[in-house]
Amino acid sequence: MSDAVVSIQDIQKRYGGFGKKVHALRGVSMDVPRGSIFGLLGPNGAGKSTLVKILITAVKRSGGTGTLLGQPIGRKDALTRVGYLPEHHNLPKHLTGRQVIEFFGAMGKMGRADRKKRADELLDLVRMRDWHDKKVGGYSKGMRQRIGIAQALVADPDLVILDEPTDGVDPVGRRDIRMVLQQMRDEGRTVFINSHLLGELEMVCDTVGIMHKGRVVSMGTIESLTEGMLRYEVEVEGELEAAGSLFGRALPEAFGRGQSTLPPPTQGLAPPTGTGLARRVGMVGELATGESVEVHGNRLWIGTTHAGTIQPVLDAIRAKGGVIKEVRTHRPSLEDLFMQAVADDDSPGAAQGREGTRP
Amino acid sequence: MMTQTIALLVDAYRELCAKKLFWITMILSVLVVAAFAMVGINEKGLTFLWFQIPADAFGVTLTSETLPRGLLYRFMFANLAVPFWLSWVAIVLGLISTAGMIPDLIQSGTIEAVLSRPIGRVRLLLTKFIGGLLFMALQVAVFSLLAFLVIAIRGGSLAWEVFLAVPIVVAMFSYLFAICVLLGMITRSTIAALLLTLLVWCVIFIINMGDAIAVSAHEQTKSQLRVEVARLERMERNATLAILNDLNEERTAEGQEPLESYEPTDEELTTRDIRIAPKRVEIEEIESGERLAQKWRTGIYLGKTVLPKTQETIGLLDRWTVDQEAIREIGGPLPEDDTQRARAEGQQATEDAYENRPLWWILGTSFLFEAFILGIAVIIFKRRDF
Repeated sequence: MSDAVVSIQDIQKRYGGFGKKVHALRGVSMDVPRGSIFGLLGPNGAGKSTLVKILITAVKRSGGTGTLLGQPIGRKDALTRVGYLPEHHNLPKHLTGRQVIEFFGAMGKMGRADRKKRADELLDLVRMRDWHDKKVGGYSKGMRQRIGIAQALVADPDLVILDEPTDGVDPVGRRDIRMVLQQMRDEGRTVFINSHLLGELEMVCDTVGIMHKGRVVSMGTIESLTEGMLRYEVEVEGELEAAGSLFGRALPEAFGRGQSTLPPPTQGLAPPTGTGLARRVGMVGELATGESVEVHGNRLWIGTTHAGTIQPVLDAIRAKGGVIKEVRTHRPSLEDLFMQAVADDDSPGAAQGREGTRP
Repeated sequence: MMTQTIALLVDAYRELCAKKLFWITMILSVLVVAAFAMVGINEKGLTFLWFQIPADAFGVTLTSETLPRGLLYRFMFANLAVPFWLSWVAIVLGLISTAGMIPDLIQSGTIEAVLSRPIGRVRLLLTKFIGGLLFMALQVAVFSLLAFLVIAIRGGSLAWEVFLAVPIVVAMFSYLFAICVLLGMITRSTIAALLLTLLVWCVIFIINMGDAIAVSAHEQTKSQLRVEVARLERMERNATLAILNDLNEERTAEGQEPLESYEPTDEELTTRDIRIAPKRVEIEEIESGERLAQKWRTGIYLGKTVLPKTQETIGLLDRWTVDQEAIREIGGPLPEDDTQRARAEGQQATEDAYENRPLWWILGTSFLFEAFILGIAVIIFKRRDF
């Protein structure tokens, strides 16, 4: 049996008809590793929710194959071991928090005694013990979200799918939810999170997939996705114009030898805007040892994480009278990755490539 | 499997209990039965609380001798409480309370959570449908229990048959609720589903009214025709006798033997009694009108066959709980006057026509309609993406 709890190939979804078809999914393939926290990112309309709804049988796919916990997608049997929290969920307002958990436990074919025992455990887990006998209609958004997560966990699932689990939750609640997610992973469950809150995902996800326009444009661990994008940043004192000149004088060979191997700066990668910045962006080059360098205002980016590589650069800057204000390593954030992937996918070249390969 | 079904039904019960309208309907039911209990009957006539109502206040003599107390309460239950309260007001309140069940179920954020569980869509929808019927079942069960107690305490008899109201009224409600489920599935709107269901019910009511008029007119016409034909025959017989008498007088005067019988010509008859010709025309017109009405009646009957029989379904309760002969006896013998007698017989025949409609036609075709409507709802629900 594959070690992927979700394994899908070329999943497609088309809505509408009579010449007005909308391709929500254009051949999505992915494997979600067992026992990990997987984050699915994407802008609105990327197809994230459609994909999740196909997994939980709320939406029927137009094409493609796949398995969920080893069973073909669409089979209800597999859902016995799946917990799901929909985005903007409407938990039954006429029930108490405990009754909601027990109701969904019963829907997962749990026996009465097991439901009650599990409800007790989950009320403690999501810290809703004091409110368990109050009607959901009277809960705050955060409390409803906690009960929503509890109902997703009630049937002791192997796979938990959470659609925007921290949406509308205060910082304390978010921290609690992150702890619950980590606890789920520690218990061996696989967590599949669909979210816009990249910062939240970054803190808990082992693997991420980035969707855009119905396709997966990037997927892997955050480490693998950021590999080659780690860099040192050297900031010098002084005016932007003077700093640019300083870097040019300190590294004349670097900026005389062609283009950087780093990807061109994007909106997500660019530093804060400034008057002189536009002229400096694009001043890219390469060190004699092969590492890329870029000037961004009074900062110099060096495409390496090896401290030894930057020492000659620092010496050269000082030699030209530069005062080094700060030296730090920089790792791209999930938001950077996201923006990068979306920007790459929107580029004319990528669009042409899609035209040639996609139906 | 039963765990899920029971959970859905319990959830439906909790949802209903959480609705104020459920309790308002329940309280109103109690008040209706209480009003019921305030009516009594003694040897002087009907009573309401401590007020005495004269025995002949309603055109017939109503005393404890002509109308036993047990029969009074059974009659009130089957002819007043069920047709007006349970089959109208309670059903409208029931529809208002349950119309949102399907739109609420299929709204975004709810349906995904339920569908993500190992439950088939068909079973989910049908269990929800049955959950909706719970509203009416509970209401009618409470109402019937209270009515049973009133009949037992005030009427002095155990009328177990009043509990037949539970399946009968629930059956009638189920026809309308099936329509409401389908409309809720299509429109996703509680208000639209409710209003359109009431509109369909209104159409069914109008067809029922048309049917009632057609059946009543047919039976009244038949009675009238019988009376008019009898009158014509009487006129012709009298005219024949008069002609025979005249003929025999002439023959006697001529010394001939009188005739035993005589077959007069039409001309002789119509000349002898000038009312005969117009009466024949009148009968011909009635028969012609009846032939035309027959076509309409057949059309309405066929139309009703494919629609739910709400009125007839409720009428089953009257059929099964009240001794119709005993009720007719209270009205006394049929009038002597031909016209009034024909009218009374026509009314009685109309009631008999309804009583004689077969059970398979009333319930069978109604349930077929309901199954058809639910089938469409199930197909839509199975195919829809949420």
